Amino acid sequence: MSMGIPEIEDSGCLLCFGYNGADSHPIVARRIVRGKQKGMKIICVDPRVTETARISDIHLQLKGGSNLALVNAIANVIWSEGLTDDAFIREHTKGYDEFIEVIKEYTPEYAEPITHVPAEEIRRAARLYATTKPAMILYGMGVCQFSQAVDVVKGLANLALMTGNFGGPAMGIGPVRGQNNVQGACDMGALPNSYPGYQNVTDPKSREKFEKAWGVSLPDKVGCPITHVPRRILHEKDESKRIHAYYIFGEDPAQSDPDLAEVREALDKCDFVVMQDIYMNKTGLYADVILPATGWGENEGVYTCADRGFQRIRKLVEPEGDLKPDWQIIAEISTAMGYPMEYKNTEEIWNELIDLCPSFQGATYEKMEKYGCVQWPCRDKSMEDKGTPYLHKDGKFATADQKALFYGTQWHPPLEKENEQYPMTLSTVREVGHYSVRTMTGNCRTLRNLEDEPGWVQMNTEDCRRLGLKKGELVKILSKRGYCITRCLPTDRVTPGATYMTYQWWIGACNELTIAELDPVSNTPEYKYCACRVEKIEDQEWAERHVQELYEDIRAQMGIHTGKGAKA
Amino acid sequence: MNYFVKGNPDLCIGCRTCMIGCVVAHEGKRIFEIDPDSYTFNPKLHMVKTAALSVPVQCKHCENPACMAVCPVGAISQKDHCVVIDTDKCMGCKSCMDACPFGAINMVPVAGKFQADGTEKKVANKCDLCTGLPGGPACVRVCPTEALTLVTEEELEEAAEAKRKKAALNAFSENYPQE
Amino acid sequence: MNLKQVQTTCPYCGAGCQISFTVDTDANKIVEAVPADGRTNAGTLCLKGHYGWDYLNDPQILTKRLRKPMIRKGGKKSPLVEVSWDEAISYVAKRLTEIKEKYGPDAIMGTGSARGAGNEANYLMQKFMRACIGTNNVDHCARI
Repeated sequence: MSMGIPEIEDSGCLLCFGYNGADSHPIVARRIVRGKQKGMKIICVDPRVTETARISDIHLQLKGGSNLALVNAIANVIWSEGLTDDAFIREHTKGYDEFIEVIKEYTPEYAEPITHVPAEEIRRAARLYATTKPAMILYGMGVCQFSQAVDVVKGLANLALMTGNFGGPAMGIGPVRGQNNVQGACDMGALPNSYPGYQNVTDPKSREKFEKAWGVSLPDKVGCPITHVPRRILHEKDESKRIHAYYIFGEDPAQSDPDLAEVREALDKCDFVVMQDIYMNKTGLYADVILPATGWGENEGVYTCADRGFQRIRKLVEPEGDLKPDWQIIAEISTAMGYPMEYKNTEEIWNELIDLCPSFQGATYEKMEKYGCVQWPCRDKSMEDKGTPYLHKDGKFATADQKALFYGTQWHPPLEKENEQYPMTLSTVREVGHYSVRTMTGNCRTLRNLEDEPGWVQMNTEDCRRLGLKKGELVKILSKRGYCITRCLPTDRVTPGATYMTYQWWIGACNELTIAELDPVSNTPEYKYCACRVEKIEDQEWAERHVQELYEDIRAQMGIHTGKGAKA
Repeated sequence: MNYFVKGNPDLCIGCRTCMIGCVVAHEGKRIFEIDPDSYTFNPKLHMVKTAALSVPVQCKHCENPACMAVCPVGAISQKDHCVVIDTDKCMGCKSCMDACPFGAINMVPVAGKFQADGTEKKVANKCDLCTGLPGGPACVRVCPTEALTLVTEEELEEAAEAKRKKAALNAFSENYPQE
Repeated sequence: MNLKQVQTTCPYCGAGCQISFTVDTDANKIVEAVPADGRTNAGTLCLKGHYGWDYLNDPQILTKRLRKPMIRKGGKKSPLVEVSWDEAISYVAKRLTEIKEKYGPDAIMGTGSARGAGNEANYLMQKFMRACIGTNNVDHCARI
């Protein structure tokens, strides 16, 4: 995020795009609510009536999969009505004219049939955003989990650039990262194309620096993204590229990745699968080796929150059992393979890595201890450098000439369209009381009692009436790739023809249905759009029993044999 | 006058932290250590979401409670600014549930208590303003967006006074628009 | 009962809320969680922050906590057998070395973790994949 989370409530106008803070980050949603109370204008772009949409000044309830058409149309209005910040564009950006060539044709009238948003509403939103300062954009998975994702992110950045909304507090553009340490995993270079601190593996200078620090020669070509792994195991013809071993650390691809049938086949065919985790999970069923690690609350370390803030995590309780911290397990394997890694504690590792990353160099443990949180960039170890609340100060960008670049791209429709057999669409969303694949929150008593298997499918009340479905009834939901059983939740917050399922469930596992089509740049799957069909189950008693049995089976596979706790 | 907890839909984000806070307040911290099926998860407030609003609904602690009037065994009474149910006396007839115009009462099983035939004992369940618990109503305390407030007699009186002033001012400007 | 107070960062979502825990050090159990005055959360928490920690007490509800290293000694369909750390580490090292020698370093894929593990473990994981294995095949679930 270019801004800090606390700044949100001080913005003049928030464009909230495909981001449902109330379910994914209630404490960020709190800032939005407070902003509203302070007079902030809200434009919400979402196919559902989210909590933010409910309190917004303008809600653009667009058709799923039309993001870029809408973003380009907003840009078109700002340009054609002369609402741009010309001085900012002149002094701090490049590529504006080429960008205008692309968005010229995206008049609100052109976008209306694609987005299902009335042209006049698009105009109203564009005017409000462009004429209120400071204006901020927040976006979430409703932007990222489409096959056209990176283009939309650039499209949103274009809006901030053409209105001069960079360089000060409470403005700019912010992806609100979903999981607690997604930002941190990226910062640390758990990415196929970059070393820690966003230093590119294809850049010879960066590579030399890391080669020198680590005392080995390093590969120069970009590695395999996680979403390519199933096909690189199953279908790769080039023997030098085929994957034979998969070391899975703190992830559960057999639950969280798209098209689960393909993932299971891949894990089954992979020669050697190592799983390092805290709880048994679905991936564990395919693992050749399981390495038990200490979890949050049992070890020390640092997380990075969504607005670039480094914060300490601390040990609360002593781990019970034969467990080791993750870093120690990795270090021991490396040492056993002939590349010694010896560290006494996490601070030693931290000190090694910040010295390799100029933008993190000043963020010492001492500073985190003293200030609680240090937002990168923090370049200087002196206690005076407390980090950077917002990026691009004075309109200076992290490019060679400090100028930002406009990128105009054409909208294209989602890859799988509704058809006769699968007339509805499915989008995956988050459950507010559960986290990720649920191995943590599913083992928390009250959270489990609030929501449990098999989850819900949110459907428009009209669709429910047509299919004869009542609230709480078990239904079957199918796509070309698979099916699952879940409960029906009729609601007028979703439009007819659309369905939404939370991705936390093992029985109501929506990723049995999702499509493994990827954004060509980010390689993020299109979780937010695939074609599906909902079927009524006539024998509800059988369905309830069946769900109960499935739950018992899964729990037994996960090593729980007591029969307690199953209340699906 | 009785107190009550009021939800503000402009602030509520529908997250239901209040519902868990309610259960934890009434069951005690022991629930973090016991079998999750050995206690009853019975929030005394219920999140309502329609297309236009999200807000929890709970007992209004009426001054002339319909629930109390219809209870055949005298299990409902008023004390400490609060309408309370004596669950030992409750026979589970559902009259109160039927009578409550806000849908604030539901029936819940009592963990560990059984009838003569072995079936679970079920009783009426509703907000008791966390009477007797330190810190006031838990839902108010845990809500991350400060969407819930405890409305007391004094606050109602203050609010009424402010509204009266406004009404008086409006009446004045209607009669004498030029001044 | 000996109690201590520890402040830490919430393990759920990217908001980075600060929580103050009361821990019973004799029983090695968390007693209570209350919101701390962090930069982003300013004394507030959501339901996961308030009530999302009792999994540490291994409640055996959904899945079993892993307590010992395990190996499937007889191939994919065989049962997992508990082993010592020494055996587990040297087995992983041996198999990865064999695969690297036979097919090259790009035949091995590793993941970082966007969840509980923390930055230091992620740093070591990518260092391991790059410096020890010799591949850039490392990624994590930011995409999913």
